[in-house]
Amino acid sequence: MATKKFLTGLGAAATAVKMADVDVITSFPIRPYTGVMMILSQMVANGELDAEFIHADGEHAQLSICHGASAAGARTFTGSSGVGVTYAFETYSPISGGRCPVQMLIADRTLDPPGDFGSEHTDALGCRDQGWIMGWAETPQEAFDNTLIYYRVGEDPRVRLPQFNCHDGYFVSHIPGEVEIPEQSQVDAFLPPYQPVHPLDPQNPVGHGPQIFPDQGPALEAMRHNAMMASMPVIEEAIGDFGRIFGRTYSPFLEEFMTDDADLAFFINGAHAQTARYAIGHLRERGVKVGLVKIRFIRPWPTDAVMESLSKFKAVGVIETNSSFGIARGGGILAPEVCASVYDAPQRPLIASFMAGLGGEPITLNEFYFVAEKLSQIARQGKAEKPVYWLGFEE
Amino acid sequence: MKSYQVKIPKEKLLPEAGIVKAPPPNGEQEGMITGCWRVLRPVIDHEKCTMCRSCWIFCPDQAIELGEEKMSVKLKYCKGCGICAGICPVGAIERVPELDFEDGVVRLEELF
Amino acid sequence: MEAQRVEKAKFDRIRSLQKAPIDDYYVSGHRTCAGCGPAINYRLVAKASGKNTIFVGPTGCMYVANTSYLCVPWAVPWIHAQITNGGGIGSGIAAAYEARIRKGKYHGPYPNVIVMAGDGGSADIGLQALSGAMYRDHDLLFIAYDNEAYANTGIQVSPTTPYGAKTTFTPPGPVVPEGKKLWPKDLAKLIVGGHPSVKYVATASIGYPLDLMNKVRKALNVEGAAFMHIHAPCPKGWGFPANKTIEIARLAVQTGMWTMWEFENGEFKLNIEPKKLKPVSEYLEVQDRFNHLTAEHKAKIQNFVNQKLATLGIKVPVEAVTA
Repeated sequence: MATKKFLTGLGAAATAVKMADVDVITSFPIRPYTGVMMILSQMVANGELDAEFIHADGEHAQLSICHGASAAGARTFTGSSGVGVTYAFETYSPISGGRCPVQMLIADRTLDPPGDFGSEHTDALGCRDQGWIMGWAETPQEAFDNTLIYYRVGEDPRVRLPQFNCHDGYFVSHIPGEVEIPEQSQVDAFLPPYQPVHPLDPQNPVGHGPQIFPDQGPALEAMRHNAMMASMPVIEEAIGDFGRIFGRTYSPFLEEFMTDDADLAFFINGAHAQTARYAIGHLRERGVKVGLVKIRFIRPWPTDAVMESLSKFKAVGVIETNSSFGIARGGGILAPEVCASVYDAPQRPLIASFMAGLGGEPITLNEFYFVAEKLSQIARQGKAEKPVYWLGFEE
Repeated sequence: MKSYQVKIPKEKLLPEAGIVKAPPPNGEQEGMITGCWRVLRPVIDHEKCTMCRSCWIFCPDQAIELGEEKMSVKLKYCKGCGICAGICPVGAIERVPELDFEDGVVRLEELF
Repeated sequence: MEAQRVEKAKFDRIRSLQKAPIDDYYVSGHRTCAGCGPAINYRLVAKASGKNTIFVGPTGCMYVANTSYLCVPWAVPWIHAQITNGGGIGSGIAAAYEARIRKGKYHGPYPNVIVMAGDGGSADIGLQALSGAMYRDHDLLFIAYDNEAYANTGIQVSPTTPYGAKTTFTPPGPVVPEGKKLWPKDLAKLIVGGHPSVKYVATASIGYPLDLMNKVRKALNVEGAAFMHIHAPCPKGWGFPANKTIEIARLAVQTGMWTMWEFENGEFKLNIEPKKLKPVSEYLEVQDRFNHLTAEHKAKIQNFVNQKLATLGIKVPVEAVTA
């Protein structure tokens, strides 16, 4: 019988890691993700989870140890936040290119300087080109579910890619919500044991990662690209199986809310979608035809799904809880990808970015109302007065 | 769902993730044949040789073979470094210019 | 319920060259320089360790030169590591085998996990990962093969480069007549000094192959972390002819520039206790990397060597002549 528990995002993820019978876990403390490791260390100490719980000498070491363990055939788990994520940066491409399906929990955090424990997506988004599967959980339930789904997709022999299992620091990592915990048999039915293709095993010797000549480069990179592309149908398959086994059906790549008759849409990633839905409810009462499009996977970016969805609207506001100083259009990281997605659409919406929730501030209902007002204006005028609005700094 | 995969022709395919097979023990890695580097070839005088194994143990390239009756040089891989000649306690190894040999690597039409 | 360390097979001592293992697990066909010291080391280590081995290869000569291109000369499993994380990747492999054997997910013997890192990947950019692996006492052997420079990138200075050596980052000139001004780190002492769980630490040299192979076996027999610092002269980097690699290695020991000792079960033991040392100038004068040194520089080096040996209990100082 599935049971219902009140768990934080970190607690939910730890529970899923335990049920996934992970073999090797690497820890190093940094706020706000540390809690997941505290819970896992207790599970190991109590004998609830049989895993090597390793105190790594830093985040770069956490990832390195997982790389070796995964190459040797173990299911591995690690995590970090903020500058810890960026410190480990060197390791990300070797791990994804080495096709080791390591899973890393990122409870995101604003990057230094200076110290700021609050949530921003930049730490994880900064790694989006490293060849890992990446997406955000909006609630503790999604944090639990994504842990299992990401192992299932990442370890699939057609994919074999590592995964960034992200969620907003504090908003999801620390605020408890109701989580339905399935039976172990359901988890086992959904997630088979990890079967590496060419592990490091003296019984079958192979060499991982010899030096190449530049002319060997293009094919190897094309193959990595193909693996990431191959993950898309596998994600659909996995989400379908998930629904059947656990009774929770997700839309694989995009989740839409009140978009059927909407002219305007908020495009969002992560936990602030919760507030957005409340705002939309209120706006609808006032007659504003606005809906929400929440993206569930940043990598692989679902280009076609985004184009199809956003073509419906007159104006789209991309909510950016991230920073990339000097990026195209001068706003955040998501907008250029959104614009690229709709580039080939016969009917392109007007797009504006809204820098919101920076530093870990909540995005208030009033701020969403402001976004809707601007989008209405943009739709009416047929163009945006500017490509980027900084919420809290606008008149 | 449209696939954005790129078609890679069979002849351009490489081992996935660059994971390659290991050669067998006591085997060879033909991906890097080094006999063609040689300028001076070690020649073993089997009369003088006492089979002490010094040349065999110190060869960086595993190019001295430990035979039942006598030591021999793997010409396909020997780089001609000369460590064997220098370490031999009885001076049984002489370094002779490759050019002096009919099958010297500098003369070969096709390298190994 | 306490997690036990997985059991493993033990090696015998190699009594003589005639009794040395015949099989080679580091085979012909790699792009290392003719006369490469680290290649000789790899061959000896692979021979001593045998079939049930997994090598970790941080970036360096023993990576790039050995695996050019898209091929490997090891007849056992091998994985590339970043120059920063040989200790990390090795720890991960060790942990994976501990977990998978204990949980019944792998049915085979526990492997010999050997990290083969250069001096840079051990004493410098890789030091943290090495220390972490030793502190956590993973069942592995970390070998630092020391050719006293970042050789693969074209001979740049590393923390084990001797005082007075010319490298492409320490060229001698009027402003810096000695070339390298800094005194080298003593890696093996770093490990012994502060890592209480490490049960075996040894220095070795390719000039003494039986000693090297037996130390590798002792290190692998240990349950837990072991460390070896192995001297592997580099003809290209040090400026001596390719056929002199073993001579130079022995000369280093005969002059005290390299010392041979073991730390086993809490006890320190000298392996070679010279009764009389050759003056360091005999070692310095046959390598181009030292040919800019004055008598004064050489005297400083002689004093450094005298002092270093004294701390190891070898009191046979050679007079440092400054003129």
